Amino acid sequence: MPRPLKRVITALVLLGVVVALEFGFETVMPDAAWRQLALFAMVNVIAALSLNVINGMAGQFSIGHAGFVGIGAYTGAIVSGNLHQQLGGGDPLFGNSFLVMPPALLASGLVAALFGLVVGLPSLRLRGDYLAIVTLGFAEIFRLTIATATTGAAEQGTVGRLLGALGGQIGYAGPDDTGVPQYGGPFWIFGAVVLATLIAWRLKFSGWGRALRALREDEIASAAVGVDPTRYKVTSFVISAAGGGIAGGLLASMRDGNPTIQPDQFTFSYSFDAITMVILGGSGSVTGSIVGGVLVTFTVKLIEQLQGLDSVLALKAAYPALDLNALRMVLYASILIGLMILRPEGLFGERELFGRRVVRAKRPPVGPAEPVPATTGAEAAAERPGAPPEEQPPGTAVEHEVKPTGREFE
Amino acid sequence: MSLDLQRVTKRFGGLRAVGGVSFSVPDRSIFGLIGPNGAGKTTVFNLITGVYKHDEGSIRFGGTDLAPLRPSQIARLGVARTFQNIRLFGQLTVLENVLVACENLRRSTLTSALLRSPFFYKDEQEMTERALSLLSVFKLEEMADEISTSLSYGNQRRLEIARAMMLKPKLLLLDEPAAGMNYGEAEGLKQQIRWLRDTFDITVVLVEHNMQVVMGVCEEIHVLDHGETISHGTPEAVRRDPKVLAAYLGEEVEDEARPAAAAAAEERA
Repeated sequence: MPRPLKRVITALVLLGVVVALEFGFETVMPDAAWRQLALFAMVNVIAALSLNVINGMAGQFSIGHAGFVGIGAYTGAIVSGNLHQQLGGGDPLFGNSFLVMPPALLASGLVAALFGLVVGLPSLRLRGDYLAIVTLGFAEIFRLTIATATTGAAEQGTVGRLLGALGGQIGYAGPDDTGVPQYGGPFWIFGAVVLATLIAWRLKFSGWGRALRALREDEIASAAVGVDPTRYKVTSFVISAAGGGIAGGLLASMRDGNPTIQPDQFTFSYSFDAITMVILGGSGSVTGSIVGGVLVTFTVKLIEQLQGLDSVLALKAAYPALDLNALRMVLYASILIGLMILRPEGLFGERELFGRRVVRAKRPPVGPAEPVPATTGAEAAAERPGAPPEEQPPGTAVEHEVKPTGREFE
Repeated sequence: MSLDLQRVTKRFGGLRAVGGVSFSVPDRSIFGLIGPNGAGKTTVFNLITGVYKHDEGSIRFGGTDLAPLRPSQIARLGVARTFQNIRLFGQLTVLENVLVACENLRRSTLTSALLRSPFFYKDEQEMTERALSLLSVFKLEEMADEISTSLSYGNQRRLEIARAMMLKPKLLLLDEPAAGMNYGEAEGLKQQIRWLRDTFDITVVLVEHNMQVVMGVCEEIHVLDHGETISHGTPEAVRRDPKVLAAYLGEEVEDEARPAAAAAAEERA
């Protein structure tokens, strides 16, 4: 099948699935709690996919992803809240969501990207772990700025009033305090996951992604072959921040029964969860981030469900000192430690769940590498034209079939 | 002149690693940079490629002043190098290692990579073909899909040269390419260096301890010791230069050694 046709068909099928999910999601998942969890998992997948660009592919350790998700969430909430008012309020209809979600998500991504640029530009010029410190600091500053803003009558000055309007510790609930409109249905959330996956995949398997991974392996050597480390690192950090922002925008308008955005949603523990998703799935792996995002979200939920089991409650009754919440963290940590011992490179390592499209045919096993370059390049090239053509196994990838000889490619 | 250094000085704190070194490398020549350990040879390479910035003097390549340029920009001008301690991209395959070095040739941008435009595929195909043909020159084609660190030492060295050649360089800096090679391998390397120069029309600058290689392949040699020039000329001239002999073997001591030994012998008796 020709490539454009295949693409159109794939796009249509995916669009169909996403539209079907918008209307049939309640049938697929009748339980509202699980439905919300699934949507939350998808938002987490987007956060993990975007974090994977900077942590996994570029190898720069960012531990403040919650900051960008938070900025995206507040931006998205403000934009969608105001647009919703313009549209006359009422129930968030699916038709109206096409007027609200695109600008809201675009704004979330752009504002987060802008902050990413401001944070990344100074800290990524340096080699080493500065990014970790700066991103951690940035995320906490963002959260505390909003959480400690004085609200109500005590507001002072323009900045103070603007910050106060974000609701401080209680949370932001739209411009008229009636809650952020919940336009983010399954269509938008699953659609965004499909797009984010596509973008992450194409980034990884391109010259750009290759240069980024080379940079992670050896910064000096990559500069020596023309890869500008600062440019690549800043670009990937900005892309990562934008992705985090879009995850936040979706989080704000997600139908999770919580129409407010609180600063406490974006603490260090959310950054930590995002890192866990990336590392658990395998740093640098796109499919790994997806699996990691789903797995972490559901594991946390599953442990919560375990707390409600009769046997656990009986145990709690027998030993009143037992702190179930602490036990939950112990269990979660044990699972992580176990996985890291069994699979230190994550579930997939840097590999993908599905092989790449260009799969090279299995070549005959390579013998022990000759220790002596007995024939020089010159001789090898001289031999080439005379070499028998059947040395290629049948089914070798196209790139191998049209193989210029050593002398001709200049 | 391809590469031109004028009174280049580099200090690390109080240590003057390179002091007032000047030399010119003629176009399409094979030029040797030698000296005892710690003479500053690799530092000179790092200054040329922009890893370090020189404190004084000027480094020009094909008329361009390299001082304000970043390492990646210098590489894109056509200055490729290999490293003394091999620096490959460990987790990348052999083919990917070579493909990374196409920043100056690749024309498809990030946007076309995201859109997967036909242009992107064409560009990627061209680069892959070029990389594979380079790998076949260095007899690495069979291992194209293997992780680069799984290669043998000799193959890793050759992969590093293949990666450098992917840049279409005008100047190739080889940092101890013969390290760890035996006599036969070194002979092969000599032929490879000459072949590279002749086939690709490049200038080669070589830092090397292996005198068999240096004397056999270089047309001009520059000798450093303690960061300063002590000799310059053809291999024959350098080989006979007493200063070079002194730097490598120590000062010739004629009359003092014997009386001292005699005195020691007398004492014992």
